[in-house]
Amino acid sequence: MANPVVEVKDLKKTYYMPGGMSQEVLKGVSFTIEEGDFVAIMGHSGSGKSTLMNTLGCLDRPTGGTYLLAGREISKLSDEELAVVRGQTLGFVFQNFNLLMKRSIADNVSLPLLYQGVGKSEMYERAKEMINKVGLKGYEDRIPNQLSGGMQQRVAIARALINNPKIILADEPTGNLDSQTSDEIMTFFQNLNKSGITIILVTHEPDVAMYAKRLIRIADGVVEYDGSVKKYMERSHV
Amino acid sequence: MFRLIFSEAWISITAYKMRTFLTTLGIMIGVAAVVLMVAVGQTVQNVIDESFESMGGNLLIVLPGASTSGGVRTAMGRPTVSRQDMDAMKDLKDVVTTSYATQSGVQAVYGKNNWSVNAMGTTPDYLDVGNWEIDRGIMFTERDLKSAASYVVLGQTVVDELFGFEDPIGKSVRLQNIPFMVIGTLKAKGPGLTGDDQDNLIMMPFSTLRQKIRGARRPQMVSIGFVKVNSEDKLDAVLQRVTYLLRARHHLKDTQEDDFTIRNMAELVEQVKKVGFYLSLLLAAIASISLIVGSIGIMNMMLVSVTERTREIGTRKALGAPNRWIMIQFLVESILISFMGSLMGLVIGIGASQIGGYIFEKDVPISIWTVVLSFSVAVVVGVASGLFPAIKAMKLDPIDALRYQ
Repeated sequence: MANPVVEVKDLKKTYYMPGGMSQEVLKGVSFTIEEGDFVAIMGHSGSGKSTLMNTLGCLDRPTGGTYLLAGREISKLSDEELAVVRGQTLGFVFQNFNLLMKRSIADNVSLPLLYQGVGKSEMYERAKEMINKVGLKGYEDRIPNQLSGGMQQRVAIARALINNPKIILADEPTGNLDSQTSDEIMTFFQNLNKSGITIILVTHEPDVAMYAKRLIRIADGVVEYDGSVKKYMERSHV
Repeated sequence: MFRLIFSEAWISITAYKMRTFLTTLGIMIGVAAVVLMVAVGQTVQNVIDESFESMGGNLLIVLPGASTSGGVRTAMGRPTVSRQDMDAMKDLKDVVTTSYATQSGVQAVYGKNNWSVNAMGTTPDYLDVGNWEIDRGIMFTERDLKSAASYVVLGQTVVDELFGFEDPIGKSVRLQNIPFMVIGTLKAKGPGLTGDDQDNLIMMPFSTLRQKIRGARRPQMVSIGFVKVNSEDKLDAVLQRVTYLLRARHHLKDTQEDDFTIRNMAELVEQVKKVGFYLSLLLAAIASISLIVGSIGIMNMMLVSVTERTREIGTRKALGAPNRWIMIQFLVESILISFMGSLMGLVIGIGASQIGGYIFEKDVPISIWTVVLSFSVAVVVGVASGLFPAIKAMKLDPIDALRYQ
C-alpha cells in the first residue's frame, strides 16, 4: 500500500455572511489520496469542487473535519505556516496560467524558489533544467506573451514542478486551450504521473477527466462518486 | 532574504519605467524645492550676517531726539547730541572708541564726469567703528578734523564713476563747486542690508562737511553717533552708562524723558536673524507642501499597482510567498521610488541653487543636513505612502486575488 498524501475526513466548509446568514458548501467530505495517484475532481458549478480544491491547496481552512497533508494536520496552521506548506509541498497550475507577464520564462519558473531562500544563480540553473524538461529549451529569456497558450501552460507546469512538490494541483488546466493543445497538456500530466508525481485535477470536462485514474465527483457538498474514471464514464454513458 | 526582496522590488518598478518616472517627479520636485528653499533661506541669513558685520559689530547707535515724549512720538533727529557728548563717552568703561557722523547728498564733479553721491562728515575712528578699510592713500586725521581740512576719502563706486581707471589720489574733486583733495580710497563693501550701495560714499572730516557743505546753525550737533564696545555682553552695561552720561550732560531732571535714543545693534542683529530664520522655515514649509503632494502621488500609484497586480499577488501567495514578504516588497518598491525621486531632487536642488548663486554672485552654502534631510524624507515618505498599499496587498485573500479579473 502506497503512502497516503491527502487524508480528508468529514471535511466541512461553511461561509458566514454578514447579517448572520451562512452557507454550508462542503458538508462532510472524506477521501484519501495515495502517493502517485491521478485524481480528477468533477462537479457542477456550485457543487463545492472549487472550495474543496482551495482547501486541498491550503489557500483556505476548513470549518470542520480534518485534513492531513503528507501526514500533517493543516486546518489549525497560521497563514505564514500555510504559505510554507504551499511553497514546499504543493505545485499549482491555474486555468489562466497566472504567469507574470513582464518577467522572463526563467523568472516565472523559478518564482517558488524565491520564497525558499534559494540563491539567484541556482534559481536560474534549476529553472533552465525544468524548462528543458517541459520541452521549452531556449525559451528561458522570452516573456510569456511571446509564447502560445499551450506553451504558457507548460511554463506554469514547470513552475509547479520546480520545488519538487508532493502534489500538483491543477485547476481547470485546459480551460483556456483548444482541444489539440488540451490533449497535449493532459498527456504531459499523464507522463508526469507515470514518473511518480501525484496529481489532483479539477475539471468539468469529462474528456479531460478521462486522463485521470480516479474520479471524485462532488455534488451538493458531498462526495457523490469516488472510484475509477472509466467505470463512471461507462455508467454515465459519456 | 532582503537582497532578494530588493531585487524583486527593483524589477517590478523598472517594468513600468514611464509610470515610475512620473511618480518620482512629485518627490523630485518636492525635495528640489526644499533643498532650494533651504539654500535660499541660508543665503539670505548669510547676507544679513555679512551686512551686519560690514556695519561693524558690538555697536551702540546714538540718535538725537527722543523716540517718544509724553506718549507722543516726537520728530527724531532734533539736534540734541553734540560731538562733545560723543567724545566724552570715550572715557566710559568698556568703550573702545566713539565716532559720529552727519550726511548730505551732493553732486561730485571731476573733469567732465559728475555723480550724485552721499557725503559723510565723520571722524577718523569711523573706519574702525564702521568696519571700513583704506584701499589706497590715507584716512584724514584728528588734526584735519580740527582744521576742517578739505580732504576727502572716496568709496569705490565714486572712484569708478568719476575716475574710471585714473588714479584719484592727489586729484581734486568739486563738491558744490568747492574743490576737495582726494587723499584716499576705501575698499569696496558691496550692497548694504537694504540693497543700497554702501560704496557710493565720500568721507570727509565732520567739521569740513558742517562748515563747507552743509552750513548748519549748530555745527557741533551730530546726526548719528557710534559707540564701539569691547565685547558683545558689555553692550547693555555700556548702554546704561551712556544714558547716565548723556542725561547728566543734558541736565535732564528725573521726570524728563531722554532727549536721545540709543539702539543696541546686537539686539537688532538678533531680531533680523530671527526674521531670517523664520523666513527660511517658512520657505521650507511651503516647499514641504510639494513633498506631501509627491507623497500622495506615490501612494496613489502604489494603490493602483496593488489593484493591477492583484492576480500576481494571489499567484505569489499560492506559490508560497509569506504575507510579510508581499508587504515588504511593496514597501521597498515605494521606498525605492521615493529614494530615486529624492536623489534626483537633491541633485536638481543643489544644481539650481548653485546656478542661482552664480547668477546673483552669492555663495550658496549646501549643508550636510540638507542631504541627510532629503534621504530621511525619502525613507519617511516612502514608508508613509507605501504602508497602506503594502498592508492592503498583504491582507489580500489569495483565493479572491487569484479570481480577480
